[in-house]
Amino acid sequence: MSRLVEIAVSGELLARARAGEAAARQALYVALAPATHALIRRLVGQRALAEDLFQDTMMTFYERLPQFRQEAPVGAWLRQIAVSRCLMYLRSPWKRARLCLEPVDCGVAAEVAALITPGYSGELIDLERALASLAPTARAIVWMYEVEGYSHQEIAHAFGRSVSFSKSQLARAHLRLRTWLQPQEHPPSCTLI
Amino acid sequence: MHPDLDPQRSGLARLLRELPESAAAPYGYREFEQRALARAHQEHGHAGGRRLAVAAVLFLAALAVLLRLNGTPHTAPHGLGAAEVRGAPGLDPEDAPAPSASTAERWLASLPSEPAMVRVGTRAAVMGLEDRIAQVDDLLTATGDAGSAPERLRALQQERSRLVGTLVQVRYAQTLANASP
Repeated sequence: MSRLVEIAVSGELLARARAGEAAARQALYVALAPATHALIRRLVGQRALAEDLFQDTMMTFYERLPQFRQEAPVGAWLRQIAVSRCLMYLRSPWKRARLCLEPVDCGVAAEVAALITPGYSGELIDLERALASLAPTARAIVWMYEVEGYSHQEIAHAFGRSVSFSKSQLARAHLRLRTWLQPQEHPPSCTLI
Repeated sequence: MHPDLDPQRSGLARLLRELPESAAAPYGYREFEQRALARAHQEHGHAGGRRLAVAAVLFLAALAVLLRLNGTPHTAPHGLGAAEVRGAPGLDPEDAPAPSASTAERWLASLPSEPAMVRVGTRAAVMGLEDRIAQVDDLLTATGDAGSAPERLRALQQERSRLVGTLVQVRYAQTLANASP
């Protein structure tokens, strides 16, 4: 499950934020922003792009907050906004072309280095590299399916494509991730079974 | 299904979930508000630019219409557009509305007696039609003076209207031809 979905926000804080109280809005930001940014970063990869989309997402979140009816956790609602912003970007032909033109391989090392935190195992570092090597759409599908818990139907709907598109993208991404992980000196436990 | 695929897949999914969520923390709330403000200003500027562009396009369109209207050398009589000229190529003569006789005659009177550019074919047709109309006028005068049957008068008037209509069409076609480059 996504950590963004699991973040608990009190109804009282939400009500104050919806009323426009600055301190409550700030508290909400402090609680939700790191997980939102992390999710966007996972979906789109590039830091600068992720920051842009994060800004968009949070602005939309505050704009629509007065209409939020608390039928779902606020984290789930915010996740929906973030995912739809990212997919809107990934689906746009113009932006997709821009992503393809940008030097992916050169960026991978720096992106991964920025993501790595102390205490990271070699296996996870490899996985970060493998994830960064995927195409943006494939990476988004892997993350949405495996970590965020979206179904193939939901992914297909979000991308405006068929269910088999989602399945085939996921299968190919898995193959690629395994190829990245297998030649290691200490292969991950999942390949030993 | 391959027996190894599922365990591999679940292992990979577990590893993905184990990846730390936040490595690079986003900027703080104050920075967020500043960026939101800057973006709002930027969007406001874009909206102003868009309004300006729309106004410029509308102005240019209005200017083009005005120039086109002023540039037209002669306008056809009311109810007689370019596409409505009877006898124009590709147009069924039965579909074109006939202009009223007085309007047509007023419009004919507004034209110069001799066009700037004389085309032999149309010139001959115009002269022939004008001669026929003059003959019908003579006949109408004579018939009126003699007190002949009203059917004969009506037939002559109808013939005159038809000739005037044809003349209008020829002269209008001539005007258009002279106006075109």
